[in-house]
Amino acid sequence: MGNNVWKDTWLMTVRNIKTTLRNPFSFIPNLIISAFFLLVYEGGLSGISQLPTFEGANYLAFILPVSIVSAAIGGAGGAGQSIVKDIENGFFSRLLLTPASRLAIVLGPIIAGMLQLLVQTLLIIGIAFLLGLKVETGFAGVLFVLLIAIGWGLAFAGYSAGVALRTGNAQAAQAGTFIFFPLIFLSTTFVPYELIEAQWLKIAATINPTTYIFESMRTALIDGWVFWDLMQGVIAIVVVCTITITFAAVSAKRAVSRG
Amino acid sequence: MNGKIVVENLTKTFKKGNVKAVKDVSFNVDDGEFFAFLGPNGAGKSTTVQILTTLINASSGKAEVAGHDVIREPEKVRRYIGVALQETGVDPDLTGREMLELQAYIFGFNKEDGKKRAQQLLEIVQLTEAAGRRIGNYSGGMRRRLDLALTLVNEPKILFLDEPTTGLDPSNRIAIWEELRRLNKENGTTIFLTTQYLEEADSLADRISIINDGEIVATGTPKELKAQIGNDLIALALKDQTQQDRAVQLLQQQMQDMDVIRKDEKILVYVEEGTKELLEVVRIFDQEQIGIEDIQLSSPTLDDIFLKITSEQKEEVKSHGE
Repeated sequence: MGNNVWKDTWLMTVRNIKTTLRNPFSFIPNLIISAFFLLVYEGGLSGISQLPTFEGANYLAFILPVSIVSAAIGGAGGAGQSIVKDIENGFFSRLLLTPASRLAIVLGPIIAGMLQLLVQTLLIIGIAFLLGLKVETGFAGVLFVLLIAIGWGLAFAGYSAGVALRTGNAQAAQAGTFIFFPLIFLSTTFVPYELIEAQWLKIAATINPTTYIFESMRTALIDGWVFWDLMQGVIAIVVVCTITITFAAVSAKRAVSRG
Repeated sequence: MNGKIVVENLTKTFKKGNVKAVKDVSFNVDDGEFFAFLGPNGAGKSTTVQILTTLINASSGKAEVAGHDVIREPEKVRRYIGVALQETGVDPDLTGREMLELQAYIFGFNKEDGKKRAQQLLEIVQLTEAAGRRIGNYSGGMRRRLDLALTLVNEPKILFLDEPTTGLDPSNRIAIWEELRRLNKENGTTIFLTTQYLEEADSLADRISIINDGEIVATGTPKELKAQIGNDLIALALKDQTQQDRAVQLLQQQMQDMDVIRKDEKILVYVEEGTKELLEVVRIFDQEQIGIEDIQLSSPTLDDIFLKITSEQKEEVKSHGE
């Protein structure tokens, strides 16, 4: 006699979107930082794309994935933030005391976080177009980049929701978001792999799945439809999503169980 | 489905620290009854509420709420109960009206009925003026009232309230009391309330169970419990502490129906009619030339009741041991 999952998920998602919009400071800083990456790195570093390793690529197209991933991770992190907030102010328990679908209680904030991600990513891509972005693969390529952003965001949403459900504590969840920095910067963030000087950074970049996300997006933006270069991002997403979504599901099960 | 609560040998042990929070508790609450669980902090009141409202599982024992087993049929139980936990469960970014409407939709109201129900409840708890404001801006009392309204959305058969007035000022406390009385009388809602305040249990409940350290130590109507405890309490301090043993002995001999307990440097006497017995105590001590430093007459507090019950438990242990 449980409730309808779809109806409840709808109710929870709408409510999460509402509360996110009422707290503009929960997304504006991340949006500004992401736009800032784009503007500052393009303004300050675009000269290095003259180097032969860049093979004549436009630096704007090269740096855009960094900005997109930053926006995507920030948006998806909103899922964890709203779950923590709900646990802390007792709203989560209030929902558990109703016949609301347990799945919907956890899915609502995650879906809202994904929508936040989509809007933020679109805004960043929009800014890039205003700055004169040209995409090698055209409209379909932009869609591909968007899909990669969503996939990578989902992986991060799983991680942030998992941490939130496990700890139920704002500080711990906040500390969990610090993974943002190594994830973005220990990679081929500013220059292609061949130009990274330090050996340790090369190793870090190889391990960091974000590298494959960047490469995949850059292939679509700069090189064109090179199948395996595009696929590396997709594979990274599948692997990491499997891990983080499992983590989120196990944590969610624990949070709503009555042990 | 009915408004009954049946609890048999309920036990909850938390794995963390191996704490036994509820020990073999059994009780029944009848349809339409106003029942209070009275006990100090950490007595096991909240744990019991959490089990009965399907938030946590019991370690052993059985509990039926509204005719359904809380462990096997939690979804059914959730439909028929309203719960206000110690901490109010509200989203500060929603308005009071939105919060109530959301709760109504979750309970299956359609859009129109949900809006109507929200409006109705806002009127009942007198929050119509604040309905459009975000809950984050509400005062503590307003939040409590909204929380109460939220528990009523589904017209519950049984209402669980975990310390609903703790931390409230007197006027808000009385407003909540009145609303609870009305729900119980007019709608026939069964109410299970936990409280630390004797006064609250006394004024509201048909029947009270006193819980201490995870166990029910006494159950009865307020009148029965008071009769057991005595209506008034005389607290005495002697001028000469060395005379205390003799003084207690004297009182026990000469006032046989009364309970006499030592607490630190004081002697406590539980009596039926304070003013009459007070004179008697003074007369006895005067006769025996025991000097009184201080003497006070008051109503027993929850502390006094526990002191009495736990001292009786100790005596029982002692007499069994001999």
